[in-house]
Amino acid sequence: MSAKASSSQLSVSSSGSGGLSHVYIQHPPLRCNAPGTRGLFYDDGNKLLISPTSDQVFSWKAVPFDPHVAPTSDSISEGPILSIRYSLDAKIIAIQRSSLEIHFFHRETGQNFCHKCKPESDSILGFFWTDCPLCDFVLVKTSGLDFLACDAESKSLTVVETRKLNVSWYVYTHESRLVLLASGMQCKTFNGFQLSSAGIVRLPKFEMVMAKSEANSKPVLADEDVYIATMYGRIYCLQIDRVAMLLHSYRFYRDAVVQQGSLPIYSNKVAVSVVDNVLLIHQVGAKVVILYDIFADSRSPISAPLPLLFRGFPRSNTSSSRSTAKDIEIPEANISDSEAIIYGDDWTFLVPDLICDVSNKLLWKIHLDLEAISASSSEAPSMLEFLQRRKLEASKAKQLCLAITRNVILERRPVSTVAKAIDILLVSYSLSLKTGSYLKGIKTEKTSHSAGTQIGIPQSGASASTGEVDAHGTSTKHQSSAIVDNESLNRSGNSSTSDSEDNTQFNSLKANPKVNKEKLSGGAESSSSEVHPSSLQSQNLGPSNSPLNASVSERQESQLMSPAISTDEMYSLLFAPVEEEIVGDPSYLVAIIVEFLRSASSEKIKVQPNIYVLTIQLLARNERYAELSLFIINKILEPSKEVAMQLLELGRQNSQIRKLGLDMLRQLSLHHDYVLLLVQDGYYLEALRYARKHKVVTVRPSLFLEAAVSSNDSQLLAAVLRFFSDFTPGFKNTTDCHGYCRILKEMNSDVAV
Amino acid sequence: MGMASANSGGSEGMELCIFDLRRGQQEGQELDKILFFFPADLPFSTQLSVIGLSEGLITFTRIFSPEAACEVIEAERHSHVFYEAEPDIWMVMVVEKSKEAEAIWRVEALREVLKEIHSLFMMFYGPVREMLEKDPSGGQIRAHLYPFFMDYLSDFLVGKKIQLPSFRDCLKECGTVQMLTVGREAAIEVQSLVRVLESGAGATHCYSLILFQDLLVSTTLSPDDTINLFAYAVQRLSPRALSPGVSSWSYLRRGSTPSHVAVGPTFATVSVSDQFHQLHATSPSQDNSYHVKRPLQHNRWSKGKDGFLVTDIWGTETGSLIPSTPTIWLQQTGERMYLCAYQYKSLTLILLVPLSSILNGEQGVSLVKQQVLENASLKILKVEEKLSKGWGGENAYHVSGYRYLLIDDDRNVSRASPPAKVTTLAKESLLAMSKLREEVDLEKSRSKWDNADRDKDLEICIRAKNNAWVIARTTRGKELYMVLERANETLLYASDAFERFSDR
Repeated sequence: MSAKASSSQLSVSSSGSGGLSHVYIQHPPLRCNAPGTRGLFYDDGNKLLISPTSDQVFSWKAVPFDPHVAPTSDSISEGPILSIRYSLDAKIIAIQRSSLEIHFFHRETGQNFCHKCKPESDSILGFFWTDCPLCDFVLVKTSGLDFLACDAESKSLTVVETRKLNVSWYVYTHESRLVLLASGMQCKTFNGFQLSSAGIVRLPKFEMVMAKSEANSKPVLADEDVYIATMYGRIYCLQIDRVAMLLHSYRFYRDAVVQQGSLPIYSNKVAVSVVDNVLLIHQVGAKVVILYDIFADSRSPISAPLPLLFRGFPRSNTSSSRSTAKDIEIPEANISDSEAIIYGDDWTFLVPDLICDVSNKLLWKIHLDLEAISASSSEAPSMLEFLQRRKLEASKAKQLCLAITRNVILERRPVSTVAKAIDILLVSYSLSLKTGSYLKGIKTEKTSHSAGTQIGIPQSGASASTGEVDAHGTSTKHQSSAIVDNESLNRSGNSSTSDSEDNTQFNSLKANPKVNKEKLSGGAESSSSEVHPSSLQSQNLGPSNSPLNASVSERQESQLMSPAISTDEMYSLLFAPVEEEIVGDPSYLVAIIVEFLRSASSEKIKVQPNIYVLTIQLLARNERYAELSLFIINKILEPSKEVAMQLLELGRQNSQIRKLGLDMLRQLSLHHDYVLLLVQDGYYLEALRYARKHKVVTVRPSLFLEAAVSSNDSQLLAAVLRFFSDFTPGFKNTTDCHGYCRILKEMNSDVAV
Repeated sequence: MGMASANSGGSEGMELCIFDLRRGQQEGQELDKILFFFPADLPFSTQLSVIGLSEGLITFTRIFSPEAACEVIEAERHSHVFYEAEPDIWMVMVVEKSKEAEAIWRVEALREVLKEIHSLFMMFYGPVREMLEKDPSGGQIRAHLYPFFMDYLSDFLVGKKIQLPSFRDCLKECGTVQMLTVGREAAIEVQSLVRVLESGAGATHCYSLILFQDLLVSTTLSPDDTINLFAYAVQRLSPRALSPGVSSWSYLRRGSTPSHVAVGPTFATVSVSDQFHQLHATSPSQDNSYHVKRPLQHNRWSKGKDGFLVTDIWGTETGSLIPSTPTIWLQQTGERMYLCAYQYKSLTLILLVPLSSILNGEQGVSLVKQQVLENASLKILKVEEKLSKGWGGENAYHVSGYRYLLIDDDRNVSRASPPAKVTTLAKESLLAMSKLREEVDLEKSRSKWDNADRDKDLEICIRAKNNAWVIARTTRGKELYMVLERANETLLYASDAFERFSDR
């Protein structure tokens, strides 16, 4: 596999956006340029990329990802900076100055204060802010955890609780609210705490698995080898075992940590990202990425290892998003060669889905190319399952699902395969109805935060965990705790490159609309294209406009929260077009609709009458009237006015079908229509009896009278007249009565003559 | 059960013949007309006189009504029931009007018997005319008709007499299908199974029929073919037919076990069964040069290991011991189909695969069967489970207080009170109902000629001698017959009770 990987790597370095890939980073990146900055930090609690200078702190909002976001700045006092994080209400900046001291700055008042540790006992490993009700701030020290609370004026911190533990190093993500503390000789014994909104949960102590290379050597686990990954609202820990070349996974439950199996790795350097709940394992050495969907039990990758792709270079104005390499002219591309290097040495992977190119001060966001992924698999059902779980590009996933299903039907795959595919779509739709994600559309990020971070209950079944998934999946932008490598950050920004970078930015903006067009013709949703031209405009107006703009685009995208397809859309986007396209015997399509109805009924989803109407048409086209009546009588096609009308329409060729339509009208208590049709068929007296029994007053007497006259049957006319004079009060005084009485007399006299 | 009029005076009370008006038109060749005559041991002169009378009447009545000639002759001691099965091929049944009160027939019911026997014959061998054209000597058709009819009639054999549908069977309708009422969910499962069955065979235009117990669940065949195959399935393939005596319940006629026919030495001395008995060896028209399959033979079907039903009726394929798969002929398409029947518990599935779609004979059929098992066995389990859960038992369609028969003429479906419940009715009620049905039959056939596309609305209430209400109502293609024995009140009460029932 490594051989394969390296060969594809070659094609990448030469082709840029050309090669095949499933994952890409979109040009332009977020540029974190500020004069005199001293490194980059990522605050995953607030999702801020932070770059301090000697007396200022610049911060860029990384989520929602907008390459043109303007930084905000705060002034701080001078001093070394080991780590920096904003409080969750963004009022206070905390800066770790040394292993003993943390400095706090109040952003509004400019006040500041220090928190120091006792020098003899321990040193500070790090800190983070928390929204746990017990405390606001957690200090991780070699001797354990300090939970601190801010006082009302935010002028000092007081220790609320301490936990004494030996800590070698720790890992924390705000997304999971989970802190893992490593201890022991090999640093493979872990204590875990979750600081959720429900309180502090202590996880059972557990050991990670490490293979030994030789009998006596005991490898030590490093903090960069352990990742906390949150997928579908479940919290996992991924641990790289360099000796065994495996990535072990552990899942956290409230009172247990369960090893979940291992994934192979093919490179000495491995990084982990999570994009839209898909696990991306970057085989950095081999320069390929492997995708896993950990939702299902299977531990096989979604697709073959393929390189990460740069996308959206300026001037790549070909119609297809996966264009050939020749179209890209690198020299004029205004992007420095250093930027184009995939998996550069200075790349830092920020959990969950960001890449920080430290030396170039760029922030990339990783995207999944759902189109490419879906094209790479011929197994429709599993691909549909995968796509239905995607929330980030729900609209795209939905389009792809429809396209896959449409193709499966048009290719006339076995009914069982199609049935499975449809079943997947309906199960997903029913789930989205239950969780409300289909109807609600827009969800605030707030709700997803609290919901997404609960540690699962042990052996939580699919239903319990998927409930979380949905809520969590809506938090489209994730947080990360990765602290950007301090060493490299201290190298100050390279001023010589900054000019050319500015230039790049300008040009890339111009190219933006083209990129969008390309996206459009590639089959992407049209809503995003409306946004981007305005983003170009706002850039010209000034940077202050862009955050607003970003929020607009965010809302537009988030209108579709779930790729679930409603039964109505199934009809209009799947069955109706397929019905037009499919050639030959329609019974295949009937078989598929039956499977659709079966799935819908087992999921208790209501089906719109238009699908029933279509089924009737298909059956009638084959003249399978016996089956059609079976479908109607067994209520496989549920009664509705539309269905009844379709039956009556077909009834012109087949009287039996017409009767079924009539019966349906009666069952539905559509008395008016029923009576009219009885009259139309010549059952006058039956119609009158029925009208009287069900008190149908909307049918005018003249209708019956006219019909009776036209039948030229004086007995009938007399009967109808008698009926109305007996049962309709005041009828005897109407002109109708007199008129028709006269006609009746004439008729009778004719007979007499 | 009523005793049909087999009287000891003649050989028996019933005669049945088929003749072709296009044959034997020259003097001296009259015998050529006769394709089948029962009883066969009747002298030819007697046979010819029956046929001669019939032919004469047909020719005479055709002068007035060329489309539909003679239907029935009511003589003093006999009724002659006519049925033109195919153009110029007539079937005539002569039944004796006995002094015994039991021998009261409804002509239409007898005609249904003729119709059924002919339809079944066609299902297996194709039209009579076609066979005659193939073998103008008539030997082939006679060789086929004789055993087939005898096997068929053996179903009516009760003790030593042939018992035809009499007035006691007035709440039954031959030539219709009885359906199982299923819920929506089960119905969808069934349809899903149907699609898998028909697509799983890989061939184009397969058909299927699914039965639960003796009731039809689903069909994709045309109405006529459905009726025929349903009748055959209930009589020979259903779980009850495979193991007679296990359950005596059925909506179909004849609770008796006609298996005596082939075996019964006890009947050897009796003339009627004598004829059946002789069938094997030297029946009059049996010609050994024709290889005749007898699909209506009893106890020739059994359940194979794989769940498919097997029979040796169709012989074995040359050079092997594997029984040949039966084939049938579809009226609607004129196509020959392989008949594969599969049984799981109370569920019987019949899959029809076109002969033309399978090139390598038995091998191909067994491949189809294998595919069906692979694709559908799970669904079959599921459907069986769903249907058994919803199955209300033998008396599921009993409505207490009512004895009824509901016929949907459009769909050829009927539903009736369970036979066991009908037998509780007094003889007077049944006689009244039989009479009433005869009236309605007459009215129906009249309106058919008057106005072909409009169904007649009709409602008749009769107070029988025993004070029971006997009611018939036809509305737009549906017929409902009902006996209310305990409704001793007024007509209004009876009609109310009737309304309540109709609303169900």
